[in-house]
Amino acid sequence: MNSRMSELPVEIVMIEDDEGHARLIEKNIRRAGVNNPITPFKNGTDGVNYLFGADGSGLASKGKPLLVLLDLNLPDMTGVEILGRVKSNEHLKRVPVVVLTTTDDALEIQRCYDLGCNVYITKPVNYDSFANAIRQLGLFFSVIQVPSPD
Amino acid sequence: MTLPRWRFLNLQALLLGVGFLLLVGISAATVYLVERSASDNKQLSDTLHVEDKLSDVQLTLRRAESSQRGYLLTNDPTYLEDFRDAEPEVRDTIGEIRELAETSATRRSTIDHVDRLVTAKFREMQRIIDLNEKGQRPEALRQVREGQGRRIMVELREVIEQAIEQESNLAEVRAQASRNTSTLLLIVSLCGAALIVGVGALSVLLVQRNYRRAEAARGELAATNANLERIVAYRTEDLTEANEEIQRFAYIVSHDLRSPLVNIMGFTSELETLRQDIFSEIGQLRAQIVELHGAAQTAEEEASVERLGAEFDEAIGFIKTSIGNMDRLINAVLKLSREGRRQFHPENVDMDALMASLIATVSHRAVELQATLRVEDLPSVETDPLAAQQIFSNLIDNALKYGRDDEKLQIEIRGRLTATHAIYEVQDNGRGIDRADFQRVFELFRRAGRQDRPGEGIGLAHVRALVRRLGGTMGLTSELGKGSTFTVTLPRRWSVANRSAA
Repeated sequence: MNSRMSELPVEIVMIEDDEGHARLIEKNIRRAGVNNPITPFKNGTDGVNYLFGADGSGLASKGKPLLVLLDLNLPDMTGVEILGRVKSNEHLKRVPVVVLTTTDDALEIQRCYDLGCNVYITKPVNYDSFANAIRQLGLFFSVIQVPSPD
Repeated sequence: MTLPRWRFLNLQALLLGVGFLLLVGISAATVYLVERSASDNKQLSDTLHVEDKLSDVQLTLRRAESSQRGYLLTNDPTYLEDFRDAEPEVRDTIGEIRELAETSATRRSTIDHVDRLVTAKFREMQRIIDLNEKGQRPEALRQVREGQGRRIMVELREVIEQAIEQESNLAEVRAQASRNTSTLLLIVSLCGAALIVGVGALSVLLVQRNYRRAEAARGELAATNANLERIVAYRTEDLTEANEEIQRFAYIVSHDLRSPLVNIMGFTSELETLRQDIFSEIGQLRAQIVELHGAAQTAEEEASVERLGAEFDEAIGFIKTSIGNMDRLINAVLKLSREGRRQFHPENVDMDALMASLIATVSHRAVELQATLRVEDLPSVETDPLAAQQIFSNLIDNALKYGRDDEKLQIEIRGRLTATHAIYEVQDNGRGIDRADFQRVFELFRRAGRQDRPGEGIGLAHVRALVRRLGGTMGLTSELGKGSTFTVTLPRRWSVANRSAA
């Protein structure tokens, strides 16, 4: 996965509070042959700080090709809130956001797409399905184009 | 104000009694006094009458005397006409006076005296007239002059005057008595009126006091009622809130339980994958050992490795099965809590059409089971159509699921109306439910009887929760080995209160 213009590899920012889930996701993405760097965050605050920078303006991420992998159930804030902030930020709004969560509530899914989420995936409890889903997501990552940073 | 009710009633009755007695007393007194007044007046008029008649007697006698004198002067017998008329006239008058004198001894003796004198006077006058008629005129005139007649007249005048004086005195007394009676009558009437007004006023006062007390009590009652309603509304709100809290809790808990489950499942699978690597590693190591030390003990060790592998697989298998079960349970709770949060959209539901569509979806299974389904005409009801569909779909499913091996399944669906509710029954001739399990079958994750059919123990719990949220009740009658009847009672009209009863 590369951005068209720059030669920089796309960085996957994973905001997932459950370390086990994070590990399983990473394992399965790697198994799909995706070698992009993955930066994991265990809570929303750290993830937001990384994405928006110390000044919260989002300038810090300007010029970096990113993809956000977001869990909705976080200990300190909801993923929906992060999604909203990313999609309404001048510098981050074009960054693809993949919501990967246990919630399969129809209203929640609707709300995420309304806010501009690009992909919504429910984590299956059955591990075969889970692994399969992540692997396919990995395959998807290997082919999608991320918009060039300005 | 604190007069007890029984005392008030007694007082009221007492006042009524007193008022009634007063009325009777006043009436009796009035009647008596009026009677007395009438008799007084009669006696007064009698007295005046007697006076009058006595004067009449005197006058008529004088006229008779004048008539006799006229005859004696003129010797003309026509003068005697008045004289002859006078006697019967006087007799009549005396008779009248006698009638009036019946009750009085004084009057009787007076009239007797008058009668005697009148008789004597007429006899004297007649004798003189007779003498004159016989031509003995001088003798007649001598007798007149002698004055016997004049003496009788003087005596008569004295008697009558005395009698009249007596009567006048009597009249005065009578008049006084009559006046007294009238005064008394007036006083009694006024007193009676005053007393009745008093009793009436007291009664009005009492009634007013009672009315005020009743009004106060009514006010208090209204306040209590309002308070009660407020309490009920408050409790209902509390309950609704608690219910919503439970729904939220169930949702969050079941939801959050899934996350660790994903890990357990995931890493178990990872372990399974690792197993291949570990055992192939062991195989390679063993091969190296065999190469180094010869083939001794190889068969035994290979068996032990195989046993280890089997035990590993068994452990992993149990873990995976349990995770699968847990996942199903969590999903069930999630589904129930989601159903519990669903908003109802009540409408007039044509139960015949709804049941027909339900039957159509299970007809294939019914044919397979050789089951007969009979649906009678069902009353329609105002409720949430989706909920109604879920309720009856679950009940029909259950009936089809738990048939008996020895008899063909028969399912009957009936409905009827009461004034306020629609009652539906789903009856089967299946295996039935033990009386001890009547409650249990409606509980979440609980099942009864032979566990030879797949199921989570959710269906009936879901049905009962739905029926309750619709404002209805769920009933069950059953006999083990004979069949069951599930009764769903729903309110005919939807009301907002239904939801708070959820």
